[in-house]
Amino acid sequence: MTKRTKRTLRVVVVEIALIVMSIAILLPILLAITMSFKTSGEVFSYPPKIFPHTFYFQNYIKVFQNINMGRFLLNSFIMASIIMVGKTFFGVLGGYAFANFKFKGSRILFGILFLTLFMPAELLMVVPLFSLMRSFHWINTFWALTIPFLASATSTFLMRQHFMTIPKDLEDAARIDGAGPMKFLFQILVPISKSMIGAVAVINFVYAWNLYLWPLIATNSNSMKTVQIGLKMLMSNQSTNDWGVIMAGTLIALAPALLLFFFVQKLFVRGIASTGLKE
Amino acid sequence: MTRKLISYLLLVPTFLIIGLFIYYPAVLTFQKSVYRVSPFGNRNIFVGLGNFKTLFTSQSYIQEMWTTLLFVAVTITVGLTISLLFSLLLNEKVPGIGIFRTIVFSPYAISPAIAGMLWSFLLNPVVGYVSYVLLNLFGIQSHWMTTYPAALIAVMVATVWQNLGFNIIFFLSGLQGIPKSYYEAATIDGAGAIKKFFKITLPLLSPITFYLAIMNITFTMFTVFGVIDIMTQGGPGNKTTTLIYRLYRDGFIYFRTGMASAESVILIVIMAIVTFVYFRFVQRKVHYR
Amino acid sequence: MWRKVLLVGMVMTLAASLLVAAPVTIRFWHAMNGPLGQMVQKLVNEFNQTHPNIVVKADYAGSYSETLSKTIAAVKGGNPPDIVQIYDIGTQMMIDSGIIIPLQKFIDEDKTFDVNTLIPQARGYYTANGKLYSLPFNSSNPVIYYNKTLFKKAGLDPNNPPTTWSQFKEACKMLTIKNSKGNTVQYGFTSGVIGWFFEQYMAVQNALMFNNENGRVSRATKAIFDDPAGLRIFNFWNDLIQSGVMINAGPGWDNANGIFASQKAAMLLDSTSDVGMMLKQGKEGHFEVGVMALPHPNGVPYGGVIIGGASLWMINTHNTQREQAAWEFIKWLESPKQQVQWSKGTGYFPINKNALTRIMHEGFYAEHPQYLTTVFQLLMSNVTPATRGGIAGPFPQIRATVEKALSKMFNHEMTPSQALKWAQDQANQELQEYNSLYQ
Repeated sequence: MTKRTKRTLRVVVVEIALIVMSIAILLPILLAITMSFKTSGEVFSYPPKIFPHTFYFQNYIKVFQNINMGRFLLNSFIMASIIMVGKTFFGVLGGYAFANFKFKGSRILFGILFLTLFMPAELLMVVPLFSLMRSFHWINTFWALTIPFLASATSTFLMRQHFMTIPKDLEDAARIDGAGPMKFLFQILVPISKSMIGAVAVINFVYAWNLYLWPLIATNSNSMKTVQIGLKMLMSNQSTNDWGVIMAGTLIALAPALLLFFFVQKLFVRGIASTGLKE
Repeated sequence: MTRKLISYLLLVPTFLIIGLFIYYPAVLTFQKSVYRVSPFGNRNIFVGLGNFKTLFTSQSYIQEMWTTLLFVAVTITVGLTISLLFSLLLNEKVPGIGIFRTIVFSPYAISPAIAGMLWSFLLNPVVGYVSYVLLNLFGIQSHWMTTYPAALIAVMVATVWQNLGFNIIFFLSGLQGIPKSYYEAATIDGAGAIKKFFKITLPLLSPITFYLAIMNITFTMFTVFGVIDIMTQGGPGNKTTTLIYRLYRDGFIYFRTGMASAESVILIVIMAIVTFVYFRFVQRKVHYR
Repeated sequence: MWRKVLLVGMVMTLAASLLVAAPVTIRFWHAMNGPLGQMVQKLVNEFNQTHPNIVVKADYAGSYSETLSKTIAAVKGGNPPDIVQIYDIGTQMMIDSGIIIPLQKFIDEDKTFDVNTLIPQARGYYTANGKLYSLPFNSSNPVIYYNKTLFKKAGLDPNNPPTTWSQFKEACKMLTIKNSKGNTVQYGFTSGVIGWFFEQYMAVQNALMFNNENGRVSRATKAIFDDPAGLRIFNFWNDLIQSGVMINAGPGWDNANGIFASQKAAMLLDSTSDVGMMLKQGKEGHFEVGVMALPHPNGVPYGGVIIGGASLWMINTHNTQREQAAWEFIKWLESPKQQVQWSKGTGYFPINKNALTRIMHEGFYAEHPQYLTTVFQLLMSNVTPATRGGIAGPFPQIRATVEKALSKMFNHEMTPSQALKWAQDQANQELQEYNSLYQ
């Protein structure tokens, strides 16, 4: 076998494996996609049909008619973007401090930060936080939706883990070249950590995008509601649902995060991140 | 400016936020855990450690602890293994890789409640696709959400599925950090693919695996209540009730603030111990620089 | 300089005059989503147009329990709404909250509002200690939807649905179909594991859930549903499941609904609020939907059904102007015209007698007999402590406990009598814990 045919064979095998894996993972989402094009009668036809009889695009229109989806998307986007930027930025700063600096109390501080990972924050903070936000007059504003989430142990810890894998020589070399610690961070460390920072940013965006309980408690008007509340508004508590519309809404709500991921994953190209860094 | 000062300044924003928005509510929670509180908070009775006593003498709470342990252990082991294997595939340079990666990531981007809903549809005892296929191909009548252990397995599958995207995204970016030269050197030495995986990939991924294991613990401990609530509501009986789902129900369905606070305290203490042990014994094995 | 003073003066006068003429703004939190939520908004818009001096701001506050959570957070933060929609089982919690004004106060003061126009079954539920605390908004009760097409196929008379448990079981058997391999391909009956249905079947047998006349004369202190009536229900359901004529659809409403809509079960226990959607599903799935009242056990005196759903509560804002405005709005929602609109748009039935007669005279019930059953069943119910329904502080837990007991029984973990006793013991613990707060 020549090198070329070997390479082609490898690609084919990998492709097949990828396709099988993707289908398995995508199954529930494929279900959502096909349901989003079905009329409410067709959703429960038996035997279950995979493809809709006719593509009933009306469901997507109904999403925008039934709720103020455009506004909800915008609100979620603003909220998630602010949280993403803040969390990632402060995560880089904090991670850098813990990974590259020796200072008094660093272990204790790290412990304090780390412990927050293990608090069921989403549930335990809702009621006290409401009172706090109310005293700041932040209820029903983006302040309430974003400020409490601007920093977290997750991002800080992850960036620390990452910075710790970067050889110390790099920093020493930079110091000899006369670069201060901040210059080193932003001009050397950040650019070579693009893929990790991208990954953290996506995760933070998705986290914020999917927040439900707190936005529900902290907002009091339609103009401040987010997509996840909107999805809930498409459903019924106790009565029969129009599943086609709900699935259409779900897919609309899913799109922005996937789009973001699609662009970020381009950073994950083997070799680029580490070229010339090690050894 | 000294380096010392800089390091503290870098941490100021993070600590301001966690102090005000996590530690302050946590302190209130500790305080409330020794009270019995009415739903609207207008009545409070000091019960000392009464709430804790109630929990630890309750058979169902102990059972839920075991369920949680089983749940966390299985979902993490299975989840991380599958994720790592998938990541290796997704790290290949083949046409359409961006699309494949996005597909594998997509479950994570769905909110837990919706994810639970989709799985409920698939597993509906009669009209779900899975049940339909099982019945018509194998003649098996499946009762996914109403029998044990099927219900627990169903919730585990949904959880692993949801976390795939999270794990893969970090494994992928971790794989970027491994210099190609290592593999080339190994090839020259005549190492096979499997040997390369265990000698190079796995050790060099250890910092990120260390991180992912912890994050997966918090995920499966803390964020699964949405999935459980939609799929099984903790049932049958309370066979799929994990500690966080019980906390959610006590806090937000039953409005037993005092009891829910005591449960939070227990969770925090358990996790603190786990963390301590984990750092003490596992971090040593992690391979940095 | 003078110009500035003049300007400031003008602005201040303007502001003051605005303040005087400014309409009262009240906030209304509800739990209605889907098409119901749109309907609420429509009603609110109409009210705002016809009442220029009041502005109602309606806001979706999540599911029933989320609405209660949100209200609790808002009360603790000092920023509660004026009106909030709370589910039936939150009644005792609201009474104990210390933050509400019983609507009885306004009913007594307002001579333009005749509370007797509200149907007694609806008033009964929200009355405790002789006071009407809240007014029902969305009211439902349980019915059994059945597939007339499958009835015909099985040789059953679709216009003569079963009325007793033995007839019901007979019908279930006839409607269950197995294939050659012995797998069931069509079930007689399905239902989610929902505690509300247990409470309803207790009322059907005129049996009480709690002592002190179901918690109506004074606070309920003991659960008393472990009695022959309760056991009858547990045995009946267990029998249906174990004999394979009923499929347990698991928690919640959606799975059972899907099974019925796919015609894989011929009968479904569900709420009347679903009637519109159910008929639509039938039409699109090409089968005819019938609605029957809950069959009752043979030889047991008939009680009736309990009104379910949610009601409107007024929060004490210590602001008479706002409270009056809130009362205006509640009163308006309860009046015949709005009730007709709400009922026809949603499937919840009207709780105003005049609204009922109006809908009847329009011929709506003649055209849609399925809707008639939903109202008929409630009107036929005797108003007794049992059918007024129980109220208890920890009702959400108690309902969930009954659900747990049922699934333990279905899975052979407990016998019917063990499961029922277990549920009652748990309920008593819950009651004791809750009540200790108010001693």
